[in-house]
Amino acid sequence: MKGGLWFLEKQEKHRLLTNIAVTSVLMTLATAAAAAFFHYSQNSTSVAIVYVLTVMLVARYTSGYVPGIVASVVGVVYVNYVFTYPFMKMNFTMDGYPVTFMGMMVVSGITSTLTTRFKRQSQLLNEREKLLMEAEKETMRANLLRAVSHDLRTPLTAVIGLASAYLEEGSRLSEEEKAHMVKGIQEEAGWLLNMVENLLSVTRIRVGDVKIATSPEPLEEVVSEAVQRFRKRLPQAVVHVRVPEEFLMVPMDAALIEQVIINLLENAVYHSGVEGDIDLFVERAQGELEFHVRDYGNGIRPERLARIFDGAGMESNESGDSHKGMGIGLTICKTIITAHQGIIQAFNRDQGAEFIFTLPLGEEQAYDEQTYDPDH
Amino acid sequence: MTNKHTILIIEDEKNIGNYIETIVNSNQYKSIRARNGMSGISLCVSHHPDLILLDLGLPDVDGMDVLRKIREFSTVPVIVISARTQETEKVEALDAGADDYVTKPFGSEELLARIRTAIRHRILAGSFAHREPSYQRDGLVIDFDKRLVTLQGEAIHLTQIEYKLVSLLARNAGRVLTYDFILKDIWGPYADTDNQILRVNMANIRRKIEKNPAEPHYIFTEIGVGYRMLE
Repeated sequence: MKGGLWFLEKQEKHRLLTNIAVTSVLMTLATAAAAAFFHYSQNSTSVAIVYVLTVMLVARYTSGYVPGIVASVVGVVYVNYVFTYPFMKMNFTMDGYPVTFMGMMVVSGITSTLTTRFKRQSQLLNEREKLLMEAEKETMRANLLRAVSHDLRTPLTAVIGLASAYLEEGSRLSEEEKAHMVKGIQEEAGWLLNMVENLLSVTRIRVGDVKIATSPEPLEEVVSEAVQRFRKRLPQAVVHVRVPEEFLMVPMDAALIEQVIINLLENAVYHSGVEGDIDLFVERAQGELEFHVRDYGNGIRPERLARIFDGAGMESNESGDSHKGMGIGLTICKTIITAHQGIIQAFNRDQGAEFIFTLPLGEEQAYDEQTYDPDH
Repeated sequence: MTNKHTILIIEDEKNIGNYIETIVNSNQYKSIRARNGMSGISLCVSHHPDLILLDLGLPDVDGMDVLRKIREFSTVPVIVISARTQETEKVEALDAGADDYVTKPFGSEELLARIRTAIRHRILAGSFAHREPSYQRDGLVIDFDKRLVTLQGEAIHLTQIEYKLVSLLARNAGRVLTYDFILKDIWGPYADTDNQILRVNMANIRRKIEKNPAEPHYIFTEIGVGYRMLE
C-alpha cells in the first residue's frame, strides 16, 4: 500500500514538473514571438492573438485546468504591462480590457476541459481494450487447461492400466494378448508425446505477443519435415503431398507451422472415421499461401463445425473415438496461424472434410523469384 | 572371439539407460554405463570406448561441458541425446564436436542407425585408402572420381556448387551436417553466414534428383540444423 502511495506521489510530482516545464517553455516562446511581432508592427492585437494561441497550446499539452488559467493570467498581464500603452505599466482602465481578459480565460477553460476529457476518454478506452484482451487470453488459457487435463488424463489412464494389468495378469495372458497390450501402451504414449509437443509450441508463442518471430523458410523443407515426422509416428497413414513447383521462401516459425501440419494430418487420421488417403497440398494465392489438408472420411458434424477451433465439442460423449479429442490440437492450430497473421478454416466437402489455412507471403518473395533460376 | 565395439552410455535417467543398454547389448555391442558426467569422463579415459552416447541433461555437469572435456583428449564418436527443445542446442553440440544427435523420444532403429553411421565414418576417416569411391543408394549413383551423378542410369547435370554439395552430403551419408559446416566447406571460411544461398542451391538439387521435392527420398531436411543424406 505504501509503495502504491509512493508511486502515486511520484507520478503526481512528475506531472506537476511536466506542467510547469511545458507552461514556462511555451510562455517564453510566446513572449519572444510577441516581442518580435511588436518590434516590427507595433500592433497589440497580433500580440494578444499570439498569447491566445499559446494559452490554447498550454491547455492542450498539460494536464488539468491550472496551467491554462495561469497561462492566460500571465498572458493578460504581459499584454497589458509590456505590449500596450502605457508600456511597462499596468493599466486596468483601458477600453475592452475585461473582454480580452475574459476571452483568454474562456479560451483556456474550454480548451483545457476538452483536452482533459479527450485524454481521459482515450485512457478509458485503452484500459477497456486491455481488459478485454486479458479476458480473451484468460478464456484461451482456461480452454487449454480444460483440454489438457482431459486429453492427457485419458491416455495416461490407458497406459497405467495396461502396464499394471500386464504386470499383474501377465502369467495368464497369451503372447498375442501381451503384444496387443504393449502395442496399446505404445500408441497411447505416442499420442501423449504429440500432446506435449503441442503444449511446448504454445510456450513458443510468448504471452502478450501479437506477432511471433518469423524467419524466411523454404516451404518444401517445412512441409517435407512435417510429413516425415508425421510418418514416423503413424507409418500406416497414406498421405499425398504436393507443393508449388517454384521455390518459395515463406516467413514463419517453422517448428510451429510443422506442428499445425502434423495436427491437421493426425486429425484427419483419427477423425475421418475411415482409413483413407489424405491429401496435403499447398497452393499459391494472391499474396499468400493456402495449405489444404483433405480427407475422404465422414466429415465433421455440422454442430461442431462452427466452433471446432475453440476447443468446444470435445466434451461431447457422442464422438466415436471420444478420447482422441482434437481439443488442444485444433485450438493450438488456430493460435499459431492467427499469430502468423493467417486464417484457418474447416469445411465439409462432398466426401470428407477439408482444413485450409493461409500464410502471408513476405515481401522478400519478389526477390527470391528473381534469383531462382530453374533451368540453370 | 569377435571384436565387439564398446559403447559408453552417459545417461542419468535409469529407465532410459536400461532401454538403451538393452538395444545396444542385443545388437552385438558391448555397453558401459555412467550415471553422471564426471564418471562418464573417467570411464572414457579408462575404457577407450568406440562410441559414446551422451545425454545433455546430466545431474552433475552440463552435457556440453562433458563433450568439450572429452574432445580435449579423444576423437571418439559422440552421439548426443537431447530432449526436443531448441534447435540451437543441437547445433551447438554438433559444432562442439558431436558426431550426431538423436532426439528424445527415439526408436531403437533410429538409434542403431545413428550408431552404425558414426562408427563407420570413424573407421573410414582413419584410413584414406578405404574411402568409398562412390555413393550408391536406390538408383542414385555418385562417382566421386569421375565427378558423375546418375539417377536410374541417367546422367544428372549439376553445377559445380551443386555437385560439391551433393558429394559432401553423400560422403557423410547418414550424418547430419549443419548449415554452418556446409557453408564453410563449400563457400570457404569467409562465407556469408546467411544460409539462404545454401537453401536455394538445395532446392535446385532437389528438383534434379527428387521425384517430389515435398517428399524427398535422398536428402532430408532438419530445419534449423542442417541436412542429412540417405544412408
